[in-house]
Amino acid sequence: MRYTYLWLMQLVTGVLIAVLLGIHMVIQHLEDILRFLGFNLNDPASWQSMMERSREVIWAGIYIALLAVVLYHALNGLRNVILELTPSARTERAITWTIVAFGVIVFAWASYVPIALLSR
Amino acid sequence: MRQIRPRQNYLGAGGWVWAGNYKLERYLYILHRVTGLGILFFLLAHLIVTTFFRIQGQEVWEKAMTILNNPLFKTGEYLVAVAFVYHALNGLRLILQELGFLMAKPIPPIYPYSDALRKKRLWTMAIIGIIAILCLVFFYDFIVGGW
Repeated sequence: MRYTYLWLMQLVTGVLIAVLLGIHMVIQHLEDILRFLGFNLNDPASWQSMMERSREVIWAGIYIALLAVVLYHALNGLRNVILELTPSARTERAITWTIVAFGVIVFAWASYVPIALLSR
Repeated sequence: MRQIRPRQNYLGAGGWVWAGNYKLERYLYILHRVTGLGILFFLLAHLIVTTFFRIQGQEVWEKAMTILNNPLFKTGEYLVAVAFVYHALNGLRLILQELGFLMAKPIPPIYPYSDALRKKRLWTMAIIGIIAILCLVFFYDFIVGGW
């Protein structure tokens, strides 16, 4: 893939993360402010509330989508940072494939968990 | 005889933290990078906690949460929230400016120089203001939610 497309995807995933992670942060952390505005979430960080969410397919889908998007954005960003040291083409390939392998492993494990939790 | 010496202005890793006489946007860029790397480390820690501990059931999870519920980690979490707010809004600015919004029309560089970014510096300032307000909102939550 040409580097331009990698960068374009970095921008697109950036916007997606700003929306999805913004929702995640507001729900998980701004509970008191949401209650003040009229939304009562009943302690979203507790085990019970977490389990209720993880039994729903839509939440598992959201988490896996968020995981994929965040991993791409984070690891592509890390690669951009490292490549600013202008390594040789050989080293660059090694860095790229290490990062790709790392990303695939993390994605496989971390997307297995919400799927396994669906039936608990 | 003078030789061509390539990459004389090449800063290497030093350029990641040192921007010299460059202006505001360059320092925002350095902060963008620092917060990005910080969030990356948090992401990995967060994934470890929410997968390895969570899949082992309620007891292990709640034990892990009690360990993590101390002032040091709470402060760290607040810093991650601030880093996220900064990275998100500064990133939004970067995307808009890459697409040509929020900046003036480019002109030939004639002294005194005035680049397209600096003419609309007010937008950058507005975004820094929004970042500061959101940081205060999360600080309120951090204080109310207990250390």
